Amino acid sequence: MLTIKNLQAGIGDKQILTGINLEVKAGEVHAIMGPNGSGKSTLASVLAGREEYEVTGGQVDYLGKNLLEMDPEVRAREGVFMAFQYPVEIPGVSTINFMKTALNQIREHRGLPTLDAVSFLQLMKEKMKLVEIDQSLLNRSLNEGFSGGEKKRNEIFQMAMLEPRLAILDETDSGLDIDALRIVANGVNKLRSKNNAIVLVTHYQRLLEHIVPDFVHVLYKGKIVKSGTKELALELEAKGYDWIKNELALA
Amino acid sequence: MSTLTEKRNLTEEIQTAFIERGFEHDSNRNQALELFLAKGFPGPKSEEYKFTPITRLLEKALDLNNVRATENIAAPVSLSIVNELKCNVVAFVNGQFSKDHSVLLDEEIRIQSGAADNAKNESDPFDLLNQAFTNEVIEISIGSKKSVRYPLAIIYYFDSPKFVFANPRWRCKVGSQSSLTVLEYVHGPASSPYFNNKQSSIEAGENSQIEYITIQNGPATGIEVNNTVVHLSASAQASCFTFTFDGQLIRNNLTLTIDGQGVDAHLYGLYLLSKNTLADNHTVADHRKPNSFSNELYKGVMDGNSKGVFNGKIYVRPQAQKTNAFQSNRNILLGSTSTVNTKPQLEIWADDVKCSHGCTAGQLDEEALFYLRSRGISKEMARGMMLYAFAGETIVSIKNETIKSFMDGLISEKLNKTF
Repeated sequence: MLTIKNLQAGIGDKQILTGINLEVKAGEVHAIMGPNGSGKSTLASVLAGREEYEVTGGQVDYLGKNLLEMDPEVRAREGVFMAFQYPVEIPGVSTINFMKTALNQIREHRGLPTLDAVSFLQLMKEKMKLVEIDQSLLNRSLNEGFSGGEKKRNEIFQMAMLEPRLAILDETDSGLDIDALRIVANGVNKLRSKNNAIVLVTHYQRLLEHIVPDFVHVLYKGKIVKSGTKELALELEAKGYDWIKNELALA
Repeated sequence: MSTLTEKRNLTEEIQTAFIERGFEHDSNRNQALELFLAKGFPGPKSEEYKFTPITRLLEKALDLNNVRATENIAAPVSLSIVNELKCNVVAFVNGQFSKDHSVLLDEEIRIQSGAADNAKNESDPFDLLNQAFTNEVIEISIGSKKSVRYPLAIIYYFDSPKFVFANPRWRCKVGSQSSLTVLEYVHGPASSPYFNNKQSSIEAGENSQIEYITIQNGPATGIEVNNTVVHLSASAQASCFTFTFDGQLIRNNLTLTIDGQGVDAHLYGLYLLSKNTLADNHTVADHRKPNSFSNELYKGVMDGNSKGVFNGKIYVRPQAQKTNAFQSNRNILLGSTSTVNTKPQLEIWADDVKCSHGCTAGQLDEEALFYLRSRGISKEMARGMMLYAFAGETIVSIKNETIKSFMDGLISEKLNKTF
């Protein structure tokens, strides 16, 4: 589904990604871990199409198309979704209106008829249950005055509504207490299927206890330096990143 | 031969026009003219007009020869711009009150010719100019304990191929415990050139409720100065809305005089500007008595080569203890050559008050735009959604639902078409 080859990107003069290689197939969950400043969020941002990052080399192939050539909205319509690390507050735009507009633009792109108000509300109610989010929250301005947990739940709610093929969750576990983490993880697990893929960017093994990955990758200085299965995450949790850094220094 | 044209002496032309109109035997007018001449047209060094080159524009555009512009005007029977809104209408056609175009549906409203105001030195120069040149003062009165059923529309209709120098002047007295909605706008063919130099005042009695909505949406040729005073007695409630969308140069001097305790006053403004439009809002919330509240929210979106000016004064006089007065001015600049000058100006003589102010000028939030786009919403639609959300805050408090939904439509249309 997603093939990243030697991806290099940066911001201004600063090179952050120095050659990422990654293959994600439908039905898989990949976790990207790594110390602070290793380029995890940059990778997520580049995949979502954030314009302040400049891609200086490499290719990203998504379902046979060049992902890097698409505008952010086209990526979304083609089925890419990013859950933000810091969801933005937008006063005056309600989540409901926002989702209705987004969903209908995506449906239009896919040649589907727009949803009428009744079907939309039905769909929304169904997806709300998934992340245990209350309608009163969705009537309010987008993320405005939401707690950290509410914002993250709203991200997963949006993911449920838009049914992406490829979801990139950028540190969705940060700022969540144990209960919120469980709710968010449950939501994601319910959305897992053999047709879609999930890339989890995270600092902690904690999230991976709830959303069990098929692969774990360690990102360091803008490259994937180690890949393994979920046991790698446990090893990192126990030993920290220093042993990987040492290994690299010796090599 | 020099190709330089000599600079016009507007002041001299004003004096000549004053005599030609036969005003020199009227002592009130004479006094107003004298005070005006002492001040002159405000130049670039005038503190109150330094961002608004109105005098330069008038030197180019003002034509004082057209004394009787109203003759043979066939203005349409209905001057309504808000569909399905039944209104009492006070109409000024090319600057003169027109009985034929005015309609009173509510018998509580009375209209008559009023006495001239005494010219005061501290008045705005354009107010003095208006006093010298106005045709007549229109006095609208509503007694006590009257609930006026339909809004009162004050309409300035311009239809003339020749330049119109208009000086409409009206005052409206609203008795205690009465309520009134006033809707004010300019209307007419897009090509009519005019300078509408308006002065108006509303005197709101004790416990009265006033909703005052001004819509400035063209014609694009229009030059306007609006001197507007709202005088509030004890426990009066007033909400003033000023919407500026089109015109050449619009200057609004809106003064709220809070002259009683328990007053609840709200000032909302929205300017959505494009092309070369200049909109200048100078507001004053003058707290003269204790225990009153005023809140002001003005927002602007500037595109193209347009220019916004905001100056918000809050005065809290020594005796006006326990005043709560708040002010906020927020601006979004879209065009690379659009500008805004904003200045809060608080002068507080009392010591037990709560006052705050804030002003911002910036671009659309890029992070928010990206967030919307990352969910599949096009860049244009994301911009529109954000601008609409920004602008919409200024209309939520309009009580008259018909006017509110009209404004809602006007804002959407404006944002879709122009921005």
